[in-house]
Amino acid sequence: MAMTYETRMAWQNRMLLVPALVLLGCFILIPAAAAIYISFTNAALNGFAASHPQFVGLKNYVRLFSDEGFWNSLIVTFYFVFGSSIVGQFVLGLASAIALSRPIAFKPVFNAAILLPNAVPEVVAGFIWISMLGGGKYSTLSRIVGLFGIAPQNWLESVPLLMIIVVNTWRGIAFAMILMTSGLSAVPAEVYEAARMDGATPRQIFWRITLPLLRPTIFLYMLVSTAGTIAIFGLIYTLTRGGPGGATEIIGIYIYNQSFTAYQLGYGSAVAVIVLGVSVAIGAIYARVLKVQV
Amino acid sequence: MKATVLRAGVVVGLIAGAIAAAVVISRARFGSREGAISGVSAPTIRIAEHRQPRIDALNKSIPRIEKQLGVVIEVVEYPAPEKDYLSKLLTELGAGNAPDLFTANFDADVPDMVSAGYLAPITAEVKAWDGYEKLFDVAKKLSTGADGQIYALDSMLLVEQIYFRRDLLDKAGISTAQPANWKDLLDRAREIKAKTGKYGLLLPAGIGWGAGGFTEGFALFVAGSKTPQIANDDGTLNLNGEGVRDIFGLYKSLIDEDLMPIKPLLGPEPWVIPKYTMFPAGDLMATTCGTWCYIYDWGKDSKNPVPDVTKNVGTWAVPGTDGGSSVKISGSNIWAVNANSAHLNLTKKVLLALCSVDSTVAYAQLLGNIPARRDAADNKDFQAMTELVPVLKNVDNGTYLKSAPGFSVVSEGVARATEALLRKQTDAAGAQAILVKYVKDLLGDNAVK
Repeated sequence: MAMTYETRMAWQNRMLLVPALVLLGCFILIPAAAAIYISFTNAALNGFAASHPQFVGLKNYVRLFSDEGFWNSLIVTFYFVFGSSIVGQFVLGLASAIALSRPIAFKPVFNAAILLPNAVPEVVAGFIWISMLGGGKYSTLSRIVGLFGIAPQNWLESVPLLMIIVVNTWRGIAFAMILMTSGLSAVPAEVYEAARMDGATPRQIFWRITLPLLRPTIFLYMLVSTAGTIAIFGLIYTLTRGGPGGATEIIGIYIYNQSFTAYQLGYGSAVAVIVLGVSVAIGAIYARVLKVQV
Repeated sequence: MKATVLRAGVVVGLIAGAIAAAVVISRARFGSREGAISGVSAPTIRIAEHRQPRIDALNKSIPRIEKQLGVVIEVVEYPAPEKDYLSKLLTELGAGNAPDLFTANFDADVPDMVSAGYLAPITAEVKAWDGYEKLFDVAKKLSTGADGQIYALDSMLLVEQIYFRRDLLDKAGISTAQPANWKDLLDRAREIKAKTGKYGLLLPAGIGWGAGGFTEGFALFVAGSKTPQIANDDGTLNLNGEGVRDIFGLYKSLIDEDLMPIKPLLGPEPWVIPKYTMFPAGDLMATTCGTWCYIYDWGKDSKNPVPDVTKNVGTWAVPGTDGGSSVKISGSNIWAVNANSAHLNLTKKVLLALCSVDSTVAYAQLLGNIPARRDAADNKDFQAMTELVPVLKNVDNGTYLKSAPGFSVVSEGVARATEALLRKQTDAAGAQAILVKYVKDLLGDNAVK
């Protein structure tokens, strides 16, 4: 029996999804399932457990909840994500998008200046910032603040968390700006025109029109940016390796340290599974709070 | 349409040409090397090595070994920091794609690599080797596992003790005599602080220092403690002993009394500031270290040397808790063969060739460690290294720590315990409890006594 046009098209569409599903399965779903399985074992990179991993049930999860290092890394991650992604990148990205949506002088220069940090590879950016912040009196920042009579210091030791928040904000403004620019361009000009004709002030336009209409974009940004910031590794590993004393040990670094420094793959996987759950929960909370259908 | 087809044809032709050229060039390069060695296809042995001086030392030996054994040796460069090196190596060993030959960082790493099934036994080959009898007894003991088998061969030795600034202590009127016991050592550090305001003694500690916190710090004091060995004969680990708590107590005193620098130890690469900056500048007066310090950290190859280093920097053996003293000997350049190597026998021969006098002296020249062979003393190049010659003569007087399965976990546990001390979150008993809990969590309750 010959297929109808609709059936044929439906099959065609399914077939078009196959390559993406295969890749998703191979590189996301199967590894995630493997990580969940490994989290219930004592698998390790070294020692007897490396060749003979045993099923240990919930032991890794029980241990995790009494592990101060884990809780510390969760708190550090919260501050890092909130400071750099939600406050720093979002606010500055939105401000940049609004500013650059207007006719201003040297617009391409500002555009390039904001976009450039995103073009620098993570590790290279880390080393650039080490020269800015590390080295005590020899660091660029110490020399600059020295002009104002402020004592030089090793910024990555004295205020490490603040510094990694600043660095990640610097690096991520471009992404926020691009998304917000696309969101702003989707707001019809007539809406603004009508508001102005009704006598709305710029502040009222921003709070009553721009922000509400940007909600789907903001949701998308928050979701992608939060998940991306939780998963950051290279930048912080290059800058501080999670130190000093765990002050910048965000969860990605903590997972690495457990899995590849302490060689405890099972325990590291348990932490990773918890992080996966936290990320999914954050996504759900965003969707609920911002009332966006996904 | 024709133009499009023509353009596509040209692009495809160019890509095919480029691939063909790349294949021809790579074959020509590889083939010419093979041909130069044997005229026929010679097997390739891949060796993992890290840190430029070590790679340079290895490269010095390769032409001789290739000629001697008719092999092609490919050096695979690994990340420089010891921890990153081992992480990458273990990951590849686990995945089954590691090089044929590699080194363990420390003796403590070997038993766990054996337990994991990563290492091929080399007992028969080593014992039949003409260099075996030339090895120092301590090197033989360090290389031999609890089961009497050899899985990794210590080709070099680390001779570690306490190094101090003799010039500055003399100037400040502080005794440079060998401290009699731990109390005496601690009093000396206090006197340094009181008279000069400088730090009195550094013991490597914390998570950032990695396995070095155990091997270059904690382990030096084990022999002289009330728990002189951690590995028990029955395979358990003696971590609840009084000696272990006393060692943490020593750390605690140094940290709480501000006798050792703490802040740098909590950051990345914690050895850099204290050892390469503070000690040469005289801001730190004593630290545990090994022979390499006379050459690399503060000697002729240092970026920040101490003038006339062997005169101005003296050594103390590590005192015991109630007297006596010891110099800790441990392995370095601990060569091992991948159990999954496709060329097991040939790789074992390459391993033995890398333990020859020429190779070990090449490593000594570039690293400042001591060859594990007595006959290195007769080598003219070694005799020129005046900083190392007297140490080689005294190797037999050193003490060593027996390694056992689980030592990599102990090493990490010590790092966590000393990190808690550095952060002033616990006392000696608490640090010991952290170590014991960590080891029990990972190895089971029965692993610890």
